[in-house]
Amino acid sequence: MGVETGIINDKDAARFLVPRRAFTDRGVFEAEYKAIFDNCWLYLGHASELPEPGSFLTRTVARRPVLFTRDKDGEYNALLNACPHRGALVCRERHGKSRAFMCMYHGWTFGSDGHLMTLPGSSGYPKGFKTDPQKQMVHVPRMERFGDFFFISFAKDGEDLATYLADAGDILNLLSEQSPQGMEIIGGTQEYAIRGNWKLLAENSFDGYHAACNHSTYLEYLGNTKGALGVDPLKGEAIDLGHGHAMVEYTAPWGRPVANWVPLWGEEGKKEIDGVYNELESRLGADRAQRIAKKSRNMVIFPNLVINDVMAVTVRTFFPTAPDYMEINAWAIAPVGESEWRRKFRLYNFTEFLGPGGFATPDDVEAIEKCQQGYAVGGDAQYNDISKGMAREGVPSFDDEAQMRAFWVEWDRRLSEYGA
Amino acid sequence: MTTSTMDRKLDDALLLRLRVEDLLYHEADLIDRWQLEEWFALFTEDAHYYVPPSDVDGDTADPETSLFYIVDDHVRLRERIVRLGKIGAHSEHPRSKLRHLVTNVRAHRDGDIIHSRASFIVSRAKDITHDLFVGHYLHELVERDGQLKIQKKTCVLDMEALRPHARISILL
Ligand code: FES
Ligand SMILES: [Fe+2]
Repeated sequence: MGVETGIINDKDAARFLVPRRAFTDRGVFEAEYKAIFDNCWLYLGHASELPEPGSFLTRTVARRPVLFTRDKDGEYNALLNACPHRGALVCRERHGKSRAFMCMYHGWTFGSDGHLMTLPGSSGYPKGFKTDPQKQMVHVPRMERFGDFFFISFAKDGEDLATYLADAGDILNLLSEQSPQGMEIIGGTQEYAIRGNWKLLAENSFDGYHAACNHSTYLEYLGNTKGALGVDPLKGEAIDLGHGHAMVEYTAPWGRPVANWVPLWGEEGKKEIDGVYNELESRLGADRAQRIAKKSRNMVIFPNLVINDVMAVTVRTFFPTAPDYMEINAWAIAPVGESEWRRKFRLYNFTEFLGPGGFATPDDVEAIEKCQQGYAVGGDAQYNDISKGMAREGVPSFDDEAQMRAFWVEWDRRLSEYGA
Repeated sequence: MTTSTMDRKLDDALLLRLRVEDLLYHEADLIDRWQLEEWFALFTEDAHYYVPPSDVDGDTADPETSLFYIVDDHVRLRERIVRLGKIGAHSEHPRSKLRHLVTNVRAHRDGDIIHSRASFIVSRAKDITHDLFVGHYLHELVERDGQLKIQKKTCVLDMEALRPHARISILL
């Protein structure tokens, strides 16, 4: 029995309506966990976060505590972070380096591949107890990597990661190609929450329509800051990447460390950015180099991985813990081996727009929270309108809503088909 | 050491702390009353204002190599205040009610720079939300024309995450 989502998608009439109970209903929320978060490929982390054998980190993914490790052979493991004995969290640290993990309750100790190494008072247990499969830490049912991006799925069966990612895979490649040495997550995580439904952030992350109103003060700030504005106008398209993934890709007036120079960065900066661009062009050809360097991209990989390659690059995930509350983690990702100068500007750029202290994200938060509050009116005000650009001929514009419709169609499909 | 030089040392230390406390309390009061231009005038022209995230050591983290929440130089701090004066700064419209509690102020002089550490709780109330930011300040102060000015202010959050706060749209 699938869930009746009530989405109205009428191409002929150019109507796309999402019922507001999708954001408020407890039943929808529980169904989302079953139909989406317990089935889809979910982002876990980036290879650069576990630089050597023994590196580990802990992370909550779809409400489950997960321990992500590299064992002594350098292999990556995604373990459910609960002790097979009585269920205590085995690792209670955020990250570090360790060959073994001792549960603080009774002292069972596990290798970084999850196998039970030692347990105190083992004479109290029968022979063979230590190697009993049920006494080992449990691996997340599936883990796969795409380039240096690791994903997990809590479903035992399903399509492989590359198939799941569809055309979004090429956009991940496009990001990885920014440097011949690959990309790395920069230390320091922005960890916050929003008192709103998680799908509002999925929409917001690639909403090209809201910038002029919601972020007027940011755009004015760019205008006030001498040399911060380049020559490129905000202009571009929305692209459906398949399987619910989508993005907007556009030119923008802001500077990009890879590789779009703005006057603020001076002549020295221009030399450096030209160098970055020339390297891209000689390695990848002019078309690919142009696309990487000059276009900004906001992508949502269904259901909840955002990669915004804008004035800096952010990787962001978010999980709901209630219909009206989500927890967000955001990281900065950057080319390995970029100069100190570029790294500094990248981070300066990032915090200018993005995150809880930026000049833009707080206003996104406000918009999302006010939507959630508005849904309390109920009654006849039942629908959100997601139809912008539906009647347009040709390529959808970046400030239309085709990318959101791609998300919603997949959301609708997964909920409707679940258990059907 | 004679009693009088000991006394003088104590007097100096007390006086320094009083001056620093006075500045920190003034700062807090200006922010709470949204007198942001006046607050901004407390900073030197080469000043920085930082808020590091919670998963790095905020006392030592470097904004040029770690992702922070806020990395403002003098220009961006000015722009932050300009922005907060606009109706389009939606997150602070209408303005939230603020209250800074500043305690445990310690100060010492190191050459031309006065370093201070102090604890803070900042309360932000706006419509249906009420959040507390808890942490400590690291100030670097310098004398300018007989006045103490802020050359660097780092607000280290002693929190595990910005949950449920979501934003630092106010000044800490
Ligand atoms: S719960 Fe882990 S050793 Fe007992
Ligand atoms: Fe936004």
